[in-house]
Amino acid sequence: MMSNNITITIDGIACEAQEGEYILNVARANGIYIPAICYLTRCSPTLACRICLVEADGRRVYSCNARVKDGMNIVTQNEAILEERRAIMEVYDVNHPLQCGVCDQSGECELQNYTLELGIDSQHYAIPDTKRGTADWSSVLHYDAGLCIVCERCVTVCKDMIGDAALKTGPRGGDPLDKSYKATMPKDAYSMWNKLQKSVIVPSNGTEYTNCSDCGECTAVCPVGALTERDFVYQSNAWELRQIPATCAHCSSGCHIYYETKHTAIGNSKEKIYRVKNEWNYQSLCGAGRFGYDYENSSAVKDKTAFDRAVAALQKADTIRFSSMITNEEALMLQTLKETQGVRLVNPDARAFQSFLRAYAEASGQGIYPDDFKSIMRESDFVVTVGTKLRNDNPNVRYVFNNIQKMNKGAGIYFHPVGDALVPTFGKNVETFEHKPGEEELAMHLVLDLFADREALPDSVRKTIEAYHEPRTRTVTEKVMEEVTVTETDPETAEEKTVTKKVPKTVEKEVEYDHNGLVEALGGDAEHFDEIFGKMMNKKESFALILGEDLYFHPRADNLARLAALIEDVCAMKLAMVPPRSNALGVALICDLDAEATGYVVGYNAPGDFILSALGTGDLDMPALNQQEGTLTNMNKRVVPTNAALPYGGYELNDLMNSLGLGKTLTVDWTTSLPEDRGFVAIDFDALPNGYANDGQEHRGYLLDVPPAEKTATEIAPFDGDGVLEGQIAYRCNPQRQFSDFTDKAHQIFEPFALYASPEKAEELGKRVTVVFDRGSLELDVIVDERIRGDIVEIPDFQSNKNIYALFGDNRYATVTLRKGS
Amino acid sequence: MSLEQFKNRNVGVQHYRMLDLSHTPQTGWGQFKQVVRRTLSLELFVGLKVTLREMTKALFFGKMHTTKYPFEKLPVGPRYRAIHEMKRLLESGHYRCIGCGLCEKICPADAIRIETAYGEDQRKQVQEYTINFGRCIFCGYCAEVCPELAIVHGGRYETASEQRASFSLFDDMLTPIDRLKEQKEFPGYGSVSPDADKRIHKTPLAY
Amino acid sequence: MMEVTYLGVIIKAILILAIISAVAGFGTYIERKILAFMQRRLGPMHVGPYGLLQIAADGIKLFTKEDFIPQNANKLIFMIAPIITAATAFIALSAVPVFPDFTIFGIFVPSVASDINIGILFVLGMMAAGLYGPLLAGMSQANKWGLIGAARTAAQFVSYEVVTGLSLLAPIMMVGSLSLIDFNHYNETHAWMVFTQPLAFVLFLIAGFAETNRTPFDLLEHEAEVVAGYATEYSGMRWGMFFIGEYANMITIAVLASIVFLGGYTDLGFIPGWLAIILKIAFMFFLMLWVRASWPHVRPDQFMWLAWKVLMPLAVINVVITGIVIMV
Ligand code: SF4
Ligand code: SF4
Ligand code: SF4
Ligand code: SF4
Ligand code: SF4
Ligand code: FES
Repeated sequence: MMSNNITITIDGIACEAQEGEYILNVARANGIYIPAICYLTRCSPTLACRICLVEADGRRVYSCNARVKDGMNIVTQNEAILEERRAIMEVYDVNHPLQCGVCDQSGECELQNYTLELGIDSQHYAIPDTKRGTADWSSVLHYDAGLCIVCERCVTVCKDMIGDAALKTGPRGGDPLDKSYKATMPKDAYSMWNKLQKSVIVPSNGTEYTNCSDCGECTAVCPVGALTERDFVYQSNAWELRQIPATCAHCSSGCHIYYETKHTAIGNSKEKIYRVKNEWNYQSLCGAGRFGYDYENSSAVKDKTAFDRAVAALQKADTIRFSSMITNEEALMLQTLKETQGVRLVNPDARAFQSFLRAYAEASGQGIYPDDFKSIMRESDFVVTVGTKLRNDNPNVRYVFNNIQKMNKGAGIYFHPVGDALVPTFGKNVETFEHKPGEEELAMHLVLDLFADREALPDSVRKTIEAYHEPRTRTVTEKVMEEVTVTETDPETAEEKTVTKKVPKTVEKEVEYDHNGLVEALGGDAEHFDEIFGKMMNKKESFALILGEDLYFHPRADNLARLAALIEDVCAMKLAMVPPRSNALGVALICDLDAEATGYVVGYNAPGDFILSALGTGDLDMPALNQQEGTLTNMNKRVVPTNAALPYGGYELNDLMNSLGLGKTLTVDWTTSLPEDRGFVAIDFDALPNGYANDGQEHRGYLLDVPPAEKTATEIAPFDGDGVLEGQIAYRCNPQRQFSDFTDKAHQIFEPFALYASPEKAEELGKRVTVVFDRGSLELDVIVDERIRGDIVEIPDFQSNKNIYALFGDNRYATVTLRKGS
Repeated sequence: MSLEQFKNRNVGVQHYRMLDLSHTPQTGWGQFKQVVRRTLSLELFVGLKVTLREMTKALFFGKMHTTKYPFEKLPVGPRYRAIHEMKRLLESGHYRCIGCGLCEKICPADAIRIETAYGEDQRKQVQEYTINFGRCIFCGYCAEVCPELAIVHGGRYETASEQRASFSLFDDMLTPIDRLKEQKEFPGYGSVSPDADKRIHKTPLAY
Repeated sequence: MMEVTYLGVIIKAILILAIISAVAGFGTYIERKILAFMQRRLGPMHVGPYGLLQIAADGIKLFTKEDFIPQNANKLIFMIAPIITAATAFIALSAVPVFPDFTIFGIFVPSVASDINIGILFVLGMMAAGLYGPLLAGMSQANKWGLIGAARTAAQFVSYEVVTGLSLLAPIMMVGSLSLIDFNHYNETHAWMVFTQPLAFVLFLIAGFAETNRTPFDLLEHEAEVVAGYATEYSGMRWGMFFIGEYANMITIAVLASIVFLGGYTDLGFIPGWLAIILKIAFMFFLMLWVRASWPHVRPDQFMWLAWKVLMPLAVINVVITGIVIMV
């Protein structure tokens, strides 16, 4: 993937480019406009629309698909090209309903725009229309086939980015084109039409419903009003909505979003969020980000008595327990309280992550994991994940994994105890290991085994790994050509003659191979792994390792962190970690966290004796994250700003700080005080940008600059198998689209708080089970997640009042007893 | 029209009678003479004659101007821009408004608000439509922009009411369904131009 | 001639007061109607038949309105100023013979409440004293428009007082008496003064318009220039009194003009004297409204110019000529 700078000329303008880039992207990066409908920046070109036609060195090419070559001379527009483009737009307008007046896309519709831009004021083509209906594909997707121009952006994004591949083109049932058009029409327009006339979009599973992760990314990319969010259909015109650039705070991805707001109703001028939009060329959202926007604390008022009690509670507090759905500024306020009042700060997920980061820093000498997910997605072609539930923990990590398979012709290894049916579908070079909980160290050893230079390894580790290898033999079947002699009768002459033919034959053969005991121990196919891995490694240049929450909540987390440091050191692999919750990274960097809560506990969006709550259910109201300004630290180590989309009528944490004599005028006045020795930069909140440039450059906040640490503890303890769990195991894991009480509050997110199990397991368990932990028990409904494989059941933690962390303790896995019924 | 032409367009100059200011007396003696001349030519009595003439006309020749307003009303011109009316389709009786929101957008006084929803018939439904007549400046843009001839200005100019809501809700502006037959097409501002047909490109149809 | 009794005088005084007040009120109605007709409007129509009860409605309105006194006004003067206007107007009328003597229930009612021998001087003097009404009102109300109104009052009344006086001097010289009764009797034997003293008549009319503050000389309260002049801060019945005064003055001038120049209440052919004078007064009143409907205001400077440079010299010349004619 390493490439060199070259120069090409587009419309007479010299442009710098990287060898192998698409012409369209080079043009866009240089501010040169080429119309394009079907191309999505981070996905593969589909060549559905053909409007991006240009001339490169005199030849017609599609700019979204043609790669630049040094010295190329490109013309983006001439009479012939324009004629072709006009014909294409006319074809798109054939039988397109004249309903811009009611259409949800009106005003931001690419069909409208291009029709207008190319000056289509008359129509030369016609064909009888086909009845195409509307359908609700899922709880959030609404499809109007009448409006669809079959650009396949939805199909492409779902496959190449999201990974669900839940959509495909299906038959339209339209008449074939009049043959005479073939001769008279511009050629590209004709072939585009030919395809358009045959297809509509349908769910790829053959049913009427998509059964996907309901991310809604397909609705975002749809250039017309064909695919829309169900709740938004006919609610508001695009131009009435105010766009507020913000950051989604549901998970640690910290995606860039726009809240789109308008007055609630004719008689109610209060702002309301109508939908969330994203810069889909550069940032994909998940279902929580797109649909979980209405979690604001709307009823909050300034309740002076509650405020006074809160001040008293803070003065009296021994412990503040808080969730990671908090801004950096608020985290700093809490840290200030710790420093001045000596309270204990308790946040289990951030603390686990913090100690893992610390162990990693001590082992590697680096203050923080060295790489970020964006560069991994762009550059890596082999990705390994350990300890993260790809489908649930962080949607964008999953998109990274998937996108690498699709776009970088990549390969991937997925180590996780809970089997998943979706991950293997991301690409043909994806291997999954359903190892036992507790065997993560073995997985890390396997990574070392596969990617490290053996000689560079410390002796102990090398010995451990070598101990797993032994030469063995296996039986292989081979095809060999065998000569056989047969007697045949010539049908014409009736003569008999003898001929010698070569006939294929399979033979079995014993061959010797290097048996990898690590693969076997991790539940892989040790017998054939060397072949499989050989195929995976074909033409791979850039490797990446992604670590997840399982490792932070692991009895031997420190050892895992040292293994990670070793891998980073010896393997030429990029390394990134998934912070467990929204702003867990920010909290881990800013706060000194304590393990146990003691004495009088004030909870901030968490259980406690006095609760400050942005959910509106506590003793004092706090603003939710769509009601406040501040910064968040996302998994790409970026400090990104978020803005208030909705008004808030109550008190903020900063007001409480002011009453304690510790406050500042505004919450965002804390932004410049974020600790610089932990990598933050003293930039004024209002000076932080929040957007993307035309070439996809992310201009959002700033990148953390964490100073290096001292290398102190690198010694790796051998794997002893003590932490391996057996028996019935429960895994602390949220359903897709659910992350916290806040997603739960949003009206378009329905995934219930229940036990999730594979179909077979669910059948075995029945409708309702009691889950008995060492420390308590829980009664839950059983819900089938068709993509789970195996015996482990998943128990969510998104409802903070259920105290799931207490049940699981310091591990994401627990051995439990499941009792049927109540 | 260029700016220069616009400024010098002499609107209706031909109908003005210019004031003859050339004889304004400059000296006291001149003024005295003017007074004497005007007095003796009995110019003042011309004024008296005019008023007396008008009075006789009014009293004896039935030329009284007064319209006894609340009891009598003058007909309102078709282009008059008073309280809006929402029209219905003549055939089905369904309201014409499709909820496109263009009127809401164009209204310079920000007087229009519209609420739409996905209806049971899978069409866009107008839930509520209001015009705040405290803000409306009766500019007529809404009527002009409406693609459906759904909103037009009516002749209802009496905008005093105990509640301004009584003018501004959808149902109050909508043609009552039982008076559908009396609904008149709007000929004024914003209606289809007489040459509309000529300006449309015909689209081929494959039926 | 029967004896003049106190009772007779009192009856006469009450009659004058009642009738003139009523007529003044009715005058407002007439004025509005006439102005309306001249503009081809209907005028008041809705209160009573043809809007006749409009006066009553206005009266009720004026009486029930808030009586408003500005904070910085000189309260006492502010309060008595309208009374001065109304009172002087009526006092002036006491020396004016409005219609012939008559007897009621055996009580002889004289033609004039008080036949003082300097009647005409008294009337003029009283009307001149009426100047204090607007003047004090304007000055007491602490309002710049009021003050300008007051200044205009002083200028206008003082100037035109001179013209009125001088224009009446010639007829007085001819009659040789200051009693209005004598003027009336003079008419029985002589031709109407309007024919013998036309210039005096015109001058008197002009000055009369000015003194009663009528268009085109209503500069005291010209709303386009000084809001409402001296009456700016007045409301309710206090404001109403200025107008009763104004209308009473209009009647006084109309009566004076009728008696001095138009033959008074002498019988006119088959028309009895009392009807004749009513017709004459009515015509004079109508003339004032007619003029108001027809002519625009004059500018204050033109107005002063007119008084001192045109009317006053003309009046003096008229007196001189009359004197010469009488002597010769
Ligand atoms: S998809 Fe675009 S062109 Fe089609 S009706 Fe909607 S706004 Fe109009
Ligand atoms: S639904 Fe939208 S994105 Fe998908 S093919 Fe149709 S027009 Fe394209
Ligand atoms: S919602 Fe997301 S996962 Fe579902 S079809 Fe659309 S893009 Fe694919
Ligand atoms: S007439 Fe003008 S101001 Fe009134 S509602 Fe229509 S667009 Fe708005
Ligand atoms: S412009 Fe016409 S059709 Fe559109 S919302 Fe307004 S009234 Fe309805
Ligand atoms: S954008 Fe290139 S073919 Fe559609």
